[in-house]
Amino acid sequence: MRLFLKLAWRNLFRNKRRTFITGTAIGIGLAALIFVDALIIGMEENMIHSATASFLGEGQIHREGFLETFEIEKIITNLDEVTAQLEKEAIVSHFTLRTLNFSMISSPANVSAVTMVGVEPTTERHLSQIDEALIEGTYFEGGNERDIVIGSKLAELLEVELGDRVVLTAAEVHTGDLAQEMFRISGIYHFNISEMDRAMAFIRLHKAREMLNLKGEAHEIAITFIDREYGRTKDLPFWNSYSTGGNEAQGWTELLPELEAAFELSGFSTWLLGLILFAVVAVGIINTLFMSLHERMFEFGVLRAVGTRPLALARLILFEAASLAVVSSVLGIILGFIVTYISTQTGIDYTGIEYAGMTFRELLYPVMQLKQYVYYPIWVFILTTLIGLYPASYAARMKPAKAMRRSF
Amino acid sequence: MTNDLAGNVIVTEGITKEYSDHSVPVEALRGIDLSIQKGEFTAIVGPSGSGKTTFLNVISGLDSVTKGKVWLNNKLLSNMSSKELSDFRRDNIGFIFQAYNLIPVLSVEENVEYVMLIQGVPKQERHARIEKILDDLGLRGFADRLPTKLSGGQQQRVAVARAIVSRPALVLADEPTANLDSKTGIELIEMMRSLNQTSGVTFVFSTHDTKIMERARRLIVLKDGQIEKDENHE
Repeated sequence: MRLFLKLAWRNLFRNKRRTFITGTAIGIGLAALIFVDALIIGMEENMIHSATASFLGEGQIHREGFLETFEIEKIITNLDEVTAQLEKEAIVSHFTLRTLNFSMISSPANVSAVTMVGVEPTTERHLSQIDEALIEGTYFEGGNERDIVIGSKLAELLEVELGDRVVLTAAEVHTGDLAQEMFRISGIYHFNISEMDRAMAFIRLHKAREMLNLKGEAHEIAITFIDREYGRTKDLPFWNSYSTGGNEAQGWTELLPELEAAFELSGFSTWLLGLILFAVVAVGIINTLFMSLHERMFEFGVLRAVGTRPLALARLILFEAASLAVVSSVLGIILGFIVTYISTQTGIDYTGIEYAGMTFRELLYPVMQLKQYVYYPIWVFILTTLIGLYPASYAARMKPAKAMRRSF
Repeated sequence: MTNDLAGNVIVTEGITKEYSDHSVPVEALRGIDLSIQKGEFTAIVGPSGSGKTTFLNVISGLDSVTKGKVWLNNKLLSNMSSKELSDFRRDNIGFIFQAYNLIPVLSVEENVEYVMLIQGVPKQERHARIEKILDDLGLRGFADRLPTKLSGGQQQRVAVARAIVSRPALVLADEPTANLDSKTGIELIEMMRSLNQTSGVTFVFSTHDTKIMERARRLIVLKDGQIEKDENHE
């Protein structure tokens, strides 16, 4: 065994240039895989952060069916009990109450349908980034109950600026009578998410309740956890314990299934990319091993002549393939680490690009994980060695006299 | 065929070998009956294409015969599987090639050690045998060198060392002096003859060189795949 390992390792460096070129090709494939995996993890984290931190939260509680119909009668049952229980939850970091309803917003210049969101500014700050996305004005500072914060596109549509007046019209919860209130633009935000910038208007929670005739009620509780992964854990007992009394508690993966689907697609893309890369690299490995095999055909004939068994010869070729895999993996790990590390420091600018309904708002930072430097090289090693089976079986089946036809 | 194999290392019975060269059938060996006794020092001679290499190939089990039978050390080669033939060659035959054909990435010592390693000879014994053979063949001091750092004559001596260190019953050499100058060639053949005398190993070698064939004790002349002459010089 040691003899064949030694032979294989030395044979690998008989043609240093060829070994280097093939090793680099395999190494680049591995480095690309490491980088893409880190990029996709970074992209996922960025998208989850963008999706959950902008407004959604990592979990939400509604009355069953509210999200499907947006009927304002579907208020959360036993709200006081639910909020009291949430206060005690160890895994809950923050939560906030909201009302949500369709309404009409009008200015002297235009009119538009919007989602009117009643928020509690002090708790909302922990759940959404509306305050951080402000491009003009302030986020419910002072005590003016007629403050309204709208998106940049909506302001453009309504042709309004800070301090301008707008009128919100909404139906009351029980009677369906229309209620109208005048508000003054106190803040304009820009999320670079067209849905939010164009079709949402934020007012204080108590004002919204007053307009909708909701006495201390809410349509939505948005939640953040102490660990973001809780929002992704579908079998978390939390969801069941709050899905009672006609209420429904859901994590962001259920609230944004398209995002989860996009991640699954990304995972499949990485797998597919790996497959394509390895298919290309496999051809290179087979070519290298066969070139090496044909160059040394006579030598293999000699080895067989002096008593090397066919399987032992096949093992030698496999060891050579494995040695090539080791060299390539080292190159790939070094290259992958350098490229990925640099990009984790500089970030990659995807801002403004929309993907799976989400817009990247921050620089994308690839995430380095140990598995990328363990599993992928192991796969490279296994695949390269498996690819070596083809030339190995060829060598094993070779007739010694034919291999040595130049002489013996 | 008498079937009396006693005392013979090689016995062939009507061996025929046919090739297909670009779809043209070629008869390389045509019904050769031959026996070579233990301890012989035999030269196979003949012009190019006479079948020397093919003959060496089939008697060593490197190639199969089209017709006929080959016994080597009382074993019928045609009954053996590829693995059995490998093991049989490993334990019974030493090879010397025209172009030396040492393993270039292994040192002189490792090249000589190779067959003993696959034979499973214990380490101590391997090293003792290597030391002795390198001494006997004037290769002391070259053990750690790679073959590329040796002259042609030295490389062929290493090849001889590799062939006999595993203590085979038979050493087959195909034109072992063809790549050497005349003086070195004669030295090598003398060395092989000396080993034949001291160790009793049977040597069968092919050659074109008249000066080399003069040193053989038995001369088998092949022509067109048949034995034209078989004479003893002793």
